[in-house]
Amino acid sequence: MSVISFIALILLVLVAGGFYYGRIRSIRLVQGDTVLLHSLPNYHGYYAAIWAGLPAFLLLAAYGLFSGFIVDRLAAIELHTQASGLNARYEQLVDTDDRFRDLEQNVILLGARVETINAEIDTARSGVVQPAEQVALLRQQALDLLNQSTRAEEELRLYSQQLAAQVSESARSEGVSLVSLAGFELEQTPRERRTLFLSDARRLTEGELASRDTPELRAAGAVISAYQANFRNFVAVSALVLGFVGLIRAHLKVGPGFRARNSVERLITTVLFISSGLAVLTTVGIVASLLFESMRFFGEVPLHEFLFGLQWSPQIAIREDQIGQTGVFGAVPLFAGTALITVIAMLVAVPIGLFSAIYLSEYAGSRFRLTAKPVLEILAGIPTVVYGYFALLTVGPALRALFGAIGIEDVDLKSALSAGLVMGVMIIPFISSLADDVINAVPQSLRDGSYAMGATKSETISKVIMPAALPGLVGAVLLAVSRAIGETMIVVMAAGQGANLTANPLESVTTITVQIVTLLTGDQNFDSAKTLSAFALGLVLFVLTLIMNMMALRVVQRYREKYD
Amino acid sequence: MTDPTPQNSLRDTLAERLPRRYRAELRFRAAGLGAVMSAMAILLVLILSILNEGLPAFSVHNLVLPVSLERELVDQEGDASEASLRRGRYGAVLQNAMREEFPAVTDRRELRALFGLYTPLNSTRLMDEVLADPGLVGTTHVFRMPISDELDLYLKGQLVQDRVLPTTGRLELSEQDGSGVAISASAGFADLAGEMRRSIQLEADRLEVRAQSSRQAMQIADADERDRLEAGAARAQRQADSLIAAINAEPGWIALQGELPSILVQADGRILKVSALSTDGRMARGEYLVGEGDAEPVAVWSLYVIDTPETRRRVSDQVIAWTRALESRGRIERGFNHYLFSNADSREPELAGVRGALFGSILTMIITMVLSVPIGVFTALYLEEYAPKNRFTDLIEVNINNLAAVPSIVFGLLGLAVFINAFGLPRSTPIVGGLVLSLMTLPTVIISTRAALKAVPPSIRQAALAVGASKTQTVFHHVLPLAAPGILTGSIIGLAQALGETAPLLMIGMVAFIADAPSLGLEGFSQPATVMPVQIFLWSDAAERAFEARTAAAILVLLALMIGFNALAIYLRRRFERRW
Amino acid sequence: MTDALPHSLATEPTTASPTKVVARDINVFYGDNHALRNVSIDIPDRNVMAFIGPSGCGKSTFLRCLNRMNDTIEEARVSGSLCIDGREVYDKSVDPVVLRARVGMVFQKPNPFPKSIYDNVAYGPRIHGLARTREELDAIVEESLNKAGLWNEVKDRLLEPGTSLSGGQQQRLVIARAIAVQPEVILMDEPCSALDPIATARIEELIDELRKNYCIIIVTHSMQQAARVSQKTAFFHLGSLVEVGPTEEIFTNPRDPRTQDYITGRFG
Repeated sequence: MSVISFIALILLVLVAGGFYYGRIRSIRLVQGDTVLLHSLPNYHGYYAAIWAGLPAFLLLAAYGLFSGFIVDRLAAIELHTQASGLNARYEQLVDTDDRFRDLEQNVILLGARVETINAEIDTARSGVVQPAEQVALLRQQALDLLNQSTRAEEELRLYSQQLAAQVSESARSEGVSLVSLAGFELEQTPRERRTLFLSDARRLTEGELASRDTPELRAAGAVISAYQANFRNFVAVSALVLGFVGLIRAHLKVGPGFRARNSVERLITTVLFISSGLAVLTTVGIVASLLFESMRFFGEVPLHEFLFGLQWSPQIAIREDQIGQTGVFGAVPLFAGTALITVIAMLVAVPIGLFSAIYLSEYAGSRFRLTAKPVLEILAGIPTVVYGYFALLTVGPALRALFGAIGIEDVDLKSALSAGLVMGVMIIPFISSLADDVINAVPQSLRDGSYAMGATKSETISKVIMPAALPGLVGAVLLAVSRAIGETMIVVMAAGQGANLTANPLESVTTITVQIVTLLTGDQNFDSAKTLSAFALGLVLFVLTLIMNMMALRVVQRYREKYD
Repeated sequence: MTDPTPQNSLRDTLAERLPRRYRAELRFRAAGLGAVMSAMAILLVLILSILNEGLPAFSVHNLVLPVSLERELVDQEGDASEASLRRGRYGAVLQNAMREEFPAVTDRRELRALFGLYTPLNSTRLMDEVLADPGLVGTTHVFRMPISDELDLYLKGQLVQDRVLPTTGRLELSEQDGSGVAISASAGFADLAGEMRRSIQLEADRLEVRAQSSRQAMQIADADERDRLEAGAARAQRQADSLIAAINAEPGWIALQGELPSILVQADGRILKVSALSTDGRMARGEYLVGEGDAEPVAVWSLYVIDTPETRRRVSDQVIAWTRALESRGRIERGFNHYLFSNADSREPELAGVRGALFGSILTMIITMVLSVPIGVFTALYLEEYAPKNRFTDLIEVNINNLAAVPSIVFGLLGLAVFINAFGLPRSTPIVGGLVLSLMTLPTVIISTRAALKAVPPSIRQAALAVGASKTQTVFHHVLPLAAPGILTGSIIGLAQALGETAPLLMIGMVAFIADAPSLGLEGFSQPATVMPVQIFLWSDAAERAFEARTAAAILVLLALMIGFNALAIYLRRRFERRW
Repeated sequence: MTDALPHSLATEPTTASPTKVVARDINVFYGDNHALRNVSIDIPDRNVMAFIGPSGCGKSTFLRCLNRMNDTIEEARVSGSLCIDGREVYDKSVDPVVLRARVGMVFQKPNPFPKSIYDNVAYGPRIHGLARTREELDAIVEESLNKAGLWNEVKDRLLEPGTSLSGGQQQRLVIARAIAVQPEVILMDEPCSALDPIATARIEELIDELRKNYCIIIVTHSMQQAARVSQKTAFFHLGSLVEVGPTEEIFTNPRDPRTQDYITGRFG
């Protein structure tokens, strides 16, 4: 990194020098008579500075972002080539080993039988008449087969590990290089663990703590660090070259007739354009990453089971005989929990927020408004984690005491009610400020018309302003609902984790967001359905909120156009 | 209807309905006012409950002990080199200091309890002090360390129900057959003895009633149930009998048994735990918790009652006695809890602080600011000043409006999938946190910048263009400076939002326990860190009660930061606001 | 023109064209802005009175005093005496809600509520509870629309939104809405300024028709319109009432030079 910092420093000097040089040169070329220049000398300076710095700095930025990735790839390829001898030896061993072949065949056979029985279940189910017992029997068989097949796979895996250990043992005694051994080990590591292998190797060479410490790892680390150094030097030199080439280009271009200003401005426009593309890129990134990981999830868990299943238990296998599966992924309890909390939140937020907005915009004197509005703004600015703590510390115990006093004892400290109430409070300012905008957009002439008829304020509000503002208010509520669905911290802290399918607000429920957090904090294994299901939930969340936002924005926009 | 109703009768109908209409008006108005007031009340409750919880955490009780830094313990090599000082046995130094305070304690279990008055992590702090000033070796140094979190709560009166009863007359302490006896000349124990007798009697009655009701229930229960009930009844009856027996066991004495308050007699530097009171209220008998032997009669003594029974609290009478003894010796001082600001996170609440999270927040915010503000302003400039009206710019518009409403946790998922898994950036670091938060903040910055740009009247642009400025010159020389205050305000508000954001950072692993603050330099950006709101989340989940207060204190710190940010935004808005 | 003082008009006037509104020394302030200065005027019943004058002269402000619409503006203050039928409008006991039912108002821009045509006209009777049955309400709506000359155009589309009508129709709808509560005075604040000439002509016809039953006060920018529809005209300038008299007289033989200048087009 220090080499890179040093290069960056040189580049900064180049940039400053480039500016100065471009300026001076343009002035010199016209003998100080700057009127002859098409563009001001400063623009020539900017031009030179940009060409000296921009390409090189872009290169450095790309290096910073991708170097780890590229170096890892290069090193992996190197290790792979180094291990080709050992690989060949292992392949040979595997090919000639009878036990391995038997095991492998067993796995294939069992796999085929599982397929067949699954097909049978499907036909039995879709058939016109089928006795339920028969299906149940088939299911039982399928389950048994599945277990057998998982066991067989496990056996095969263990045995192949044994064989691999044999190969590396004999290789070690023959004195094969550590690098080859490391490559072989990497080859044998399951795909999802390879990143860990590489990062351990990297850490060992940097003298940091790694999860393991073996001579092979250190050898791999040496390979990586060699690549790293080479790559870094290559980038450093390229950056310098780019800088100087840029300067030369500027040197050639600068002159009286050169439209430096236009060039610089074109660049500025391009930068602005690229910036605005970033917002689109973000959306694309969100959609792509969610879709990609969700696809992998739906490869393991069928879509209909996810969307309509009534049981959510991603961590624990529900049945004892379940092997090779982590749990069940029926997301209905999460949807129900999310809906329950959202409804409670809306029951709090919509009346209070709406009436606050009405009172503040139609009744309150300016002095009262000046004190009340900041209060709502403060409510809006409080971080959600604070609301979560408030729910946990104050609202939960208060509810328990309250319901305890009227004889309902089994109120959970973390309940849908406490999370919903506090979320409602969080959304009050959101609704009230949106409603305030909407109500203020209703033209004064309608109010005047109503007052001139002898209507009282409340009549004017409820019979004229509200109907006129209705579309806008609907939009505001939609946005608020979308916000409630996506809110995370309050529910994580106050709603609990049990995936209960219940409509009782005094029980603890769980929501989409809570499960995403639960599934993705702690140890992650990127190939397990458990982790991937978080992305599927994220996709559901994104699509839900997107639909609501789109609807709300459209409704509000139409409404605005109507009165603008 | 051909003939119009005479206007006068119309007026009558109107007048008839008026009171009803005004009542409706009043109700409506009251509902509105009620809504505003309830929002205000909720804010008040929220702030008060957090203040109430958090303010005590800003002070802490320190043990102030003279520790003798003997050379053979702390400087084993004898050369006062850093290596040697680092190997010193500072734990033993602290333990010796405690032993010095209570030389009578020798039992190993008791010693362990005594050393539990502070966390052993303090030995590292002592080492740091010695390393900073090696001249301390061989001297007696006054060392301050926070008392254990439970005792801190106890000293703040948050752990147990207790009271100090008024006493008069002289008290004489003596030791007989291994137990301590207190004799009050003025029958100072009389009230207490009566109270204890009553509460024992009450408890016995309660058990009696329970036994009886169990027996009654037996008659209608089935066989299994009957056995269980019978056993319960018998047990309750036994307990009741033994309580009654305790009162009457020894004539003239009441033995204190069962779930009763603890009574400590404090006199002449000694503390006696009472296990029996004489019925005449003149004598108390029990064991010495602090001190031993006979003492001269003293006039000043105190009677300390801990109403929470010993079995229902986590600090024993012995530990409380030590604490009170230390307090009376001036070894405990209450002071500002600077650990909260000078330390990073710790498993021990008394040493846990927000420094690490604060630094993490600063680093993350730097990244967020550096990325989101320029990119956001550029985007807004492009859309507002340059963009042709076409499908692509429409798409960007819709996009930005939608991004602004995408749940923050989705940005976390994006960060996890793209920055960490695809780009291989290190987890838990401010750089990834900053990247995620800047994507999240971007729409806010763009939208507020566009509003600020829209507010600049077109006449300014036309004037600049009319004197021959290029588009870019117009924008950068005239429009942008005029819109700057609005842009600044919007950006600050967006950053304040990012400062309070938690959920997306959980996704990218900034939720780990990190005991070292990241350094505030370039390398800090890629060191594991956490941020203020996540720290709050972590602490709110911690088991120790003392973390509750610290959570609230951390919230207060975060709120102070956010208020600072928003105040700055308001100040800038007021200072530079321009109206056309 | 009678010079009667407010207290002398405590009894119901019974003369053919009695004075309906009596204003004495009306001053209006919007915050620090003195918008109307010492205006005194008598306005006869069953007649059209036109207020003319340049923009910002206070004619609309005065109009809004008559039904206390200025109350809805937070910082407006009104002083002086204003009586309708001898009753003080700004008396504490007077309820603006009742007052506004007696003094209807039509605004510059047609402002039908975003409801159906029927509901627009029925709005007033409904809030004031003037109809006991559905039939009564239907009758009121029909009669009001008839009076506003709109019935034949809308009788088949009563449930369509009021905003679907053309500008001139909307303005007549608003007039129908105003007369549905049987007011005695109708205030019109530049009712034709947003309309095309044909629609304007229809409204003017309507005003002429309504004159038989109501006291109509119209603020207008157009002197031709004032000349066409009104019997009396008042000229306002810089917040003061400059001159008031029969329309004919004002336009042909103004007494004040400022009126003369305005009418001949030297300013305005």
